Amino acid sequence: MRYLLNRIALLILTLLLISVVTFVITNILPGNVATMILGTRGSPETLAALEQKLGLNDPLLTQYGRWIWGMVQGDWGTSLRFKEPISQLMGQKMLASGIVVVMSLLIALVLAIPLGIIGAVKQNRWQDTLSSGTALLGISLPDFFWGIVLILLFSRGLGWLPSSGFVSPTEDFWLALKHALLPAIALGLSLMAHLTRMTRSAMLEVISQDFIRVCRAKGLGEGSIIFRHALRNAVAPVVTVAGLQLGYLFGSIIVVESLFNFTGMGWLTYQGLLNRDMPLIQATVFVIAAVFMLSNLIVDLIYTVLDPRIGLE
Amino acid sequence: MKRRQFIKKSGTVAGGALILGSIPTFGTLAQSETPTRGGTLIWGHSETTQNLDMHQTGTASTGRLLQNVHDSILTVDSNFAIQPSLAESFEQSEDGLTYTFVMRPNVKFHNGKTLTAADVKYSFERVKNPETGAVNFEVFNDVEEINILNDLTLQVKMSRVNAPFLGRLAENGAGVIMPEGSGEIQGTTPIGAGPFKFVSREFGNEVKLVRFDDYWQGPAHLDGIISREVTEPTVRLTGLRTGEMHLINDIPLDRVETLKKDSNFQTLTWFPLSWAFLNFNHKRAPFNDPRVRLAFDHMIDKEVLVQGALWGQGEVTASPSFPSSPSMNTKLRARPQDFDKARSLLKEAGFGPGDLQFTFKVTTNYPWHVEATQIMQEWFRTAGVKVNVQQLTWSDWLSQCWVDRDYEVTMMNFFTLWEPDFLYYSLWHSTGAFNYRNVNDPELDKMLQKARVTVDKNERAATYHAIQRRVHDQSHDVVLWFRNGTVAAQNNVGGLDKLVHPNGSNLNFRNVWLKT
Amino acid sequence: MKSLLNPKGLIGLSLVTLFALMAIVAPIFIPEALSTKINVTARLMPPSFEHFFGTDQLGRELFYRVLLGAHTSLLIAVSAVTISILLGLPIGVLSGYFRGWVDHGLMRLVDTLLSFPAILLALAISAILGPNLQNTVLAIGIAFAPYLARIVRGETLKVSRLPYVEAARSQGASDLRIIRRHILPNIMAPVIVQATISVAFAILAEAGLSFLGLGTQPPTPSWGLMIQASRDYLDVAAWTALVPGIAVALAVLGLNMLGDVLREMLDPTFVSDA
Repeated sequence: MRYLLNRIALLILTLLLISVVTFVITNILPGNVATMILGTRGSPETLAALEQKLGLNDPLLTQYGRWIWGMVQGDWGTSLRFKEPISQLMGQKMLASGIVVVMSLLIALVLAIPLGIIGAVKQNRWQDTLSSGTALLGISLPDFFWGIVLILLFSRGLGWLPSSGFVSPTEDFWLALKHALLPAIALGLSLMAHLTRMTRSAMLEVISQDFIRVCRAKGLGEGSIIFRHALRNAVAPVVTVAGLQLGYLFGSIIVVESLFNFTGMGWLTYQGLLNRDMPLIQATVFVIAAVFMLSNLIVDLIYTVLDPRIGLE
Repeated sequence: MKRRQFIKKSGTVAGGALILGSIPTFGTLAQSETPTRGGTLIWGHSETTQNLDMHQTGTASTGRLLQNVHDSILTVDSNFAIQPSLAESFEQSEDGLTYTFVMRPNVKFHNGKTLTAADVKYSFERVKNPETGAVNFEVFNDVEEINILNDLTLQVKMSRVNAPFLGRLAENGAGVIMPEGSGEIQGTTPIGAGPFKFVSREFGNEVKLVRFDDYWQGPAHLDGIISREVTEPTVRLTGLRTGEMHLINDIPLDRVETLKKDSNFQTLTWFPLSWAFLNFNHKRAPFNDPRVRLAFDHMIDKEVLVQGALWGQGEVTASPSFPSSPSMNTKLRARPQDFDKARSLLKEAGFGPGDLQFTFKVTTNYPWHVEATQIMQEWFRTAGVKVNVQQLTWSDWLSQCWVDRDYEVTMMNFFTLWEPDFLYYSLWHSTGAFNYRNVNDPELDKMLQKARVTVDKNERAATYHAIQRRVHDQSHDVVLWFRNGTVAAQNNVGGLDKLVHPNGSNLNFRNVWLKT
Repeated sequence: MKSLLNPKGLIGLSLVTLFALMAIVAPIFIPEALSTKINVTARLMPPSFEHFFGTDQLGRELFYRVLLGAHTSLLIAVSAVTISILLGLPIGVLSGYFRGWVDHGLMRLVDTLLSFPAILLALAISAILGPNLQNTVLAIGIAFAPYLARIVRGETLKVSRLPYVEAARSQGASDLRIIRRHILPNIMAPVIVQATISVAFAILAEAGLSFLGLGTQPPTPSWGLMIQASRDYLDVAAWTALVPGIAVALAVLGLNMLGDVLREMLDPTFVSDA
């Protein structure tokens, strides 16, 4: 319990640190949201007036204080560029990204675990080569390149799946999944590669351990050894990595979302960044970082449950 | 010089048919049928809409959508002559200091209220007030007082003559009339007097509009419009091909020709949508030297540039004035490419081959600028100048080049719809609001000031001709091209010929309909 | 101990050698002008005898661009990884060796950086410093450093608990001497392995940055920039994406294979998920 409290305190501390860093970075970035709002219709005169109106001339500490005070009261503020309440904007985009991230995690796990097992069980045989070859291919190309290939193949070529856009699952559940599928695959391939390799090496480690040898000596069938004993022990580290990657996926979603015109959190973050929309950048980065750290925390907890030998330090 | 020959050779291919004015040309069109009512049109829109408040938003793309929700007090015809719109008539006093507007009776806003002079006063004062953060607030800088004479008549008194005033009110910005007291909600739920009512926006995905049945010019044919925001050009094109969208704007430049030949779709191309120019920072040596600027003008083969960067979707021009407007100086010609002349001009200015090196900042916001920059870079290299390219995001370009004026060479484009004073004074007067190139030419300043207070139409036009000549002779900037606008639609979309406003920028869906 | 002399090792090694050679030799024999030569009359030409790998949207030869692109892409990747080592190694060693509040402080910093989306960090850096080659290197280097610091810290923790390190300490050897003589040599193997794999990731990162327009600047050929430029012509000229895409894939594949074999060779117990 004390461990948990400690972790949560640390989490809050790190989040605060992140919000400060984000704030500083966005302020160092050249330009501000007023220049973006006005574009090439902005004269020095209009620009000065708008900066004043948006409070961009206030001391940085005041601006930061205003933001953090709002956050404490549960008010995420309003996007300066888009004039929409940020909480409303983010709810929708979180749902979109959530669908893609969870789908890509599932796709990765569903592919990786069997591939990893085959690789380990048939170590150094052709099945192993095939499994690690697939894994290597997954991490050998950037996710946006896979995205491009997928669009060419399934959208332009075969016409099976839509190439872009987001549809809300409340509107049309199956269509929503269809829209999320290609981005999810593009995002999940490199993760699949990691997990395959993890599963394989974890399996190898477990197989070489004494208790498996004991099982073998007892004359248990190979299938039962693999699935009942080895897999259970090998799965813990794989889950860890998968969980750790959840946050990572959220972070790397920017490029994939932009490619698929999929308006989720990554897209929103990028919009905020491009428009120098301070409250929006703050909120999105904060949420992405929070998701990342929470997923780490949860994974650590699951890990200790799955494998009690790992003590809580 | 193999490279040069290659580029030269392709230059002769350039040209194509010149379409003057804003008369649209069509691919496949059958527009003679009677419109039918009904149906919702799905428009693949190229941009994400921003703040929906038409007074506050400076983004053309957001305006393009909102033009269907709002109407302006005045408008222009294809010769850029000012025409009545929400105002039935308008009058300027002899001394040019007093304007009287008589509003149309029985014009309804979307909230059911009837348009009165009070709404006009409210809208004008809202734009004028710096607190509003309106993009065009300087339009009302010389306005001294706004008086309501009766229910439909409004009088505006100026402190001094401001020739462009009416022209600016005819644009879809400062001239947009909103119902009294609606300012607060315009940013998220715009209401106006236009042919379509705003329904909802799903941010980054779509905007829904429905027909306004009480529209003063008679209701539109369509039941509604769904504007799907798809920023990737090729994705938009796929949407059209698969039938997910009825109409898309901003066709990838390299696809326009193929699409025109495709009988499954209709295309509408109009000329011009925008113009572009190469900029030098006049405060940075050696670009303060007219010989150096002229030398760069002579390095560029504009015909090849139009082919290379625009895939032929445009025309070379030496002046940025709207082609059919009286202010256009039709005698100016773009300078031909002449490397020998360019080299000797540079030599005169003290730069031998390899002596000059600079950074060219270009924004990725306009991909064809990036292409144009790379083509020009090769020509500059041929002339013995080394160029480093720096790609900037839109916000970086705006803050570095537009606001801080921290660059050596860059390029930009603007819509052609601008009123001439706004165009020339803002861009080329030493104190102009958009003089991001630090142009400082006292001779030019005098001419610009004169045009601003000249009320006589012919004299005003003649002054603008002289201004264009001066800009060209001094090579303050190098005007490069006019770019075409193109939309493509399914064959069942009717009324496409009436989609584009004579000013070449606005899309108005009132006369568009769907065949059943 | 395994050796490099197995199929995987040989393929990896030869791919890496091939690309390293390409990066070093190509710029000597191919003038840069060939890769930037624009030809508006031969745009988006498919691969043929005349245009070996086809041409891009400005009629430039993809053959020259992909060859010279190796130089740009690998230079950026290797330099970025060098920077991440220069930053991550000291942080990791200090953290793992001194533990206590040094460790806590440094690891908070590392965690903060880690929970920041890496691409965001790189975006911010190149937006602040301006997009050019050096800053791309810096951006990727900084974004990668925390991962390296984490690994180095773990290894240092392990090594500093070994009996002979404890012995050296009890004999009164200075911290600096222990770090130099005992810690560093013992953690080099995993660092080398991590570096090899990081180069692969840096190639991908450069591509990603260029894809968003924030990496290498045109007309300098880089693989990422080439893929980015091909985006609008995919359906009519797929080769403009496939040519640089395959180059990236082969280089990364080679590095990953080499990294795997090196890992098995140098440190069979070492498990990394990076």
